[in-house]
Amino acid sequence: MSRTRARLAATSAAVVLAVTGMSGAAVADAAPAATAATGSAVVTSSTTFLKDQALNGIVVIPLPTADPAYDSTTGITTTFPVTGGSGDLPAYYGDIDLGGGLLFINLFTGKSATFKQLHFSVGNWQITGVPVGGTSPVALLDPAGDSQVSRANGVQTLTSTDLQVDPAGAQYLDTKLKTSFFKGGQSVGSLAINFTPAS
Amino acid sequence: MRRTMGKLLAVVALAGSLAAATAGPALADPPVLPQPQDIVGVGSHTTGPLFNAFSAAYNSYLTGLGDTTSPRLYSWDSTGPSPITTKAGAPAIVRPYDVGTGLAAFNSVFPAGIDFVRADRGPQGGDPTTDVFVALAKDAVSWTATNGGHAPANLTAAQLRNIYSCTVTNWRQIEPSLANATIKPFLPTAGSGTRSFFLAAIGNPIPGPCVTTGPQENQGTDPVLNDPDVVFPYSVGHYVGQVYYGRATTTDAPGPLTVRNVNGIAPVNTTAQTINAAFAATAFGRVLYDVVRQAEWTATDAHGQALRNVFGNLGWICRNSVATVLIKTHGFLTLPLAACGSSTHS
Repeated sequence: MSRTRARLAATSAAVVLAVTGMSGAAVADAAPAATAATGSAVVTSSTTFLKDQALNGIVVIPLPTADPAYDSTTGITTTFPVTGGSGDLPAYYGDIDLGGGLLFINLFTGKSATFKQLHFSVGNWQITGVPVGGTSPVALLDPAGDSQVSRANGVQTLTSTDLQVDPAGAQYLDTKLKTSFFKGGQSVGSLAINFTPAS
Repeated sequence: MRRTMGKLLAVVALAGSLAAATAGPALADPPVLPQPQDIVGVGSHTTGPLFNAFSAAYNSYLTGLGDTTSPRLYSWDSTGPSPITTKAGAPAIVRPYDVGTGLAAFNSVFPAGIDFVRADRGPQGGDPTTDVFVALAKDAVSWTATNGGHAPANLTAAQLRNIYSCTVTNWRQIEPSLANATIKPFLPTAGSGTRSFFLAAIGNPIPGPCVTTGPQENQGTDPVLNDPDVVFPYSVGHYVGQVYYGRATTTDAPGPLTVRNVNGIAPVNTTAQTINAAFAATAFGRVLYDVVRQAEWTATDAHGQALRNVFGNLGWICRNSVATVLIKTHGFLTLPLAACGSSTHS
């Protein structure tokens, strides 16, 4: 049974990477300026979450310019590049704009949801995304667990040992994908952000 | 029988906690000598009253649960008789009167005598990297002036920088229609977090010879501040607590001072009786912290657990509804739940 689950997870991961690599879905990102903000948000999806996803027919695909990688021990690590924003992580205000997007597919129902215009809202501590065809951002993921923030040499960082599905995001995804898989507070993995504001 | 007793304890705990949350100014200093295992703090005046209220409510919460053994929470005011003995077995020390003197005592004297420092600034150069700043709430800092005095309703950050560097010394240099009078900029004590944060927010001027240092932060009752030309930085949250939530005392009050705008943004939302969120989302918004030692914060022993039980993301301050009410009714803004208890260090 555990071997089956592991295979499912590995298959799911492979699908994610393959689809991402072939995806032509272009997500509108802001054109970087010469003095643009830089950095990244790295979301690590744990193997536990990946297994649960696979068993429920859920696939999450990072869209360009997000950069996914898979490790059998740590799970899928997706790097979202910083594209702008004026957030101040140690002061808990502002926003950080992220490139790329997220595609959620329910393989059992064939339903999907795509989010673009990803942000990390520093004031609310949420990763939000705007559904394709919509205008209002949906809170998707919340840092949780042991979180540390810092600022050194102009670079702001946030690391959180846990990353959880936001209740609003869970409700949106469950409705859109016709599943009951997503739950508010569901642990996804972990988060690491580094951000250098534009100068 | 057991269920009835449980309900009774819960009711007692809730009643005690609510009473603590809705009361006026909390008692100053620990009412008993804290024991060695207790969690004892010193430091900033900005969160002094809040921590007095936290202490009363947290200890009441534990008692209400029938818990007679867990470490209790105590906080020493930044004003009052000195020296003080922070807990049983600790040596007497000069009472710390701001975050700077609090950290100095925390890092240099009998370590077990102080378990945390109330900090109204973030880590800065010179702080030991082993000091962990644990986020508690949000505040903001603005400037105040005497009601009916010569100061305008608004100053820009650049004007404040010029005032504190003494390149602008007369109100007429701000606006020709203002009084022809000499501006009297004041700053709180040298180790004040409100002072260092305010100076950083206005561009880090070196205070000039026209600046007077000395008054306790957030206490407009100091007679030297009762002058029509005074400019004095002030915690907006502390001000809101004093003005709108009955947290003022005879000495811990705005006195003749009123809080003024910076860059055209009002610091207080007078309708909601809170810090103006738009003001807090500028360089004048700040985070309030508890400072603990890294080794103790991460320790798996009873002391480490006790610290996390109070200050951690899953601890009482971040998760208990009474603590949330106390933060708001002392004028401060709560952090997003996940951000409360997050840590940083220099």
